[in-house]
Amino acid sequence: MGQLTWADVTEGQEISIVEEMPTQRLVIWAAAAPDFAAIHYDEQIARERRLPGVIVHGTLKGMIVGRLLAEWIGDAGRVLRWVVEYRAMDMPRQPITVWARVTRKYEDGDRALIDLDVGVRQTDGVTETTPGTATIELPRE
Amino acid sequence: MSELPELTPEMRAAIGQENPPTTFEVTTLGIRTFARAVGYTNPVHFDRDAATAAGYPDLLAPLGYFGHPIFDPNSTVNEPSDPGAREFPRGLNGGTAVEPIEPVYAGDILEASVRIASLEIRQGRLGTMLVRVLETTYTRTSDGVVVGRVRGTRIRY
Repeated sequence: MGQLTWADVTEGQEISIVEEMPTQRLVIWAAAAPDFAAIHYDEQIARERRLPGVIVHGTLKGMIVGRLLAEWIGDAGRVLRWVVEYRAMDMPRQPITVWARVTRKYEDGDRALIDLDVGVRQTDGVTETTPGTATIELPRE
Repeated sequence: MSELPELTPEMRAAIGQENPPTTFEVTTLGIRTFARAVGYTNPVHFDRDAATAAGYPDLLAPLGYFGHPIFDPNSTVNEPSDPGAREFPRGLNGGTAVEPIEPVYAGDILEASVRIASLEIRQGRLGTMLVRVLETTYTRTSDGVVVGRVRGTRIRY
């Protein structure tokens, strides 16, 4: 796959990946973050906090959004910023769709930039749990 | 609709306050664990030879990874102040904003400075909420270059 360029991108273009979310992944993330909040690995404690069970870390979802962008833009692109809000819970064992959609293609001085909406969608195809935005810079062509 | 309560003097005083900086270590183990959890497969995050072949000095940290804080059971905890914990007893993570500025590599030592960028009382789904934005700035200690910023939103209700 060649390097993505600004010329390749069109407004409205969407990219996405489907991610499996086994509980093991939450444990690896707990060590990576590091975030040892028990609601992410202990069913009993999660239920005592009136959650339906162990829930996926918001930050893990946010960082998968970052990965989607990083893998799309390649070595010569740059993610300038990305922002996500944790609006709803995701449960482990439920795959999620992590997506980004180009909302604006523009130039700022000599920089070629792209704004995107980003998010995490549940398997029902409707529920958006982690909406946000991002700005990236790409080589022109 | 009733008026929103105002920030207490204690809450107001906390805004902008900066904690003493803490040290974060960017290690090969930390990079691989982070990259594995997030689902990266690019060898520049896992294989030192691949990273150097790509022109990097060592393993490249994935976006958003700024190392691990040093765990020391004998040091005093350096948590940012959490005003409003009494008035708003429950908390949840509201969101994250990441601004990567410079690439981060295994072996880097970063200094993290944390401050409360904003503190607001708002009306929302959970009723009256205290919304705190904590901004962490990561500076590479070898040359003083800022490599990234993360803003975390904490909601108390």
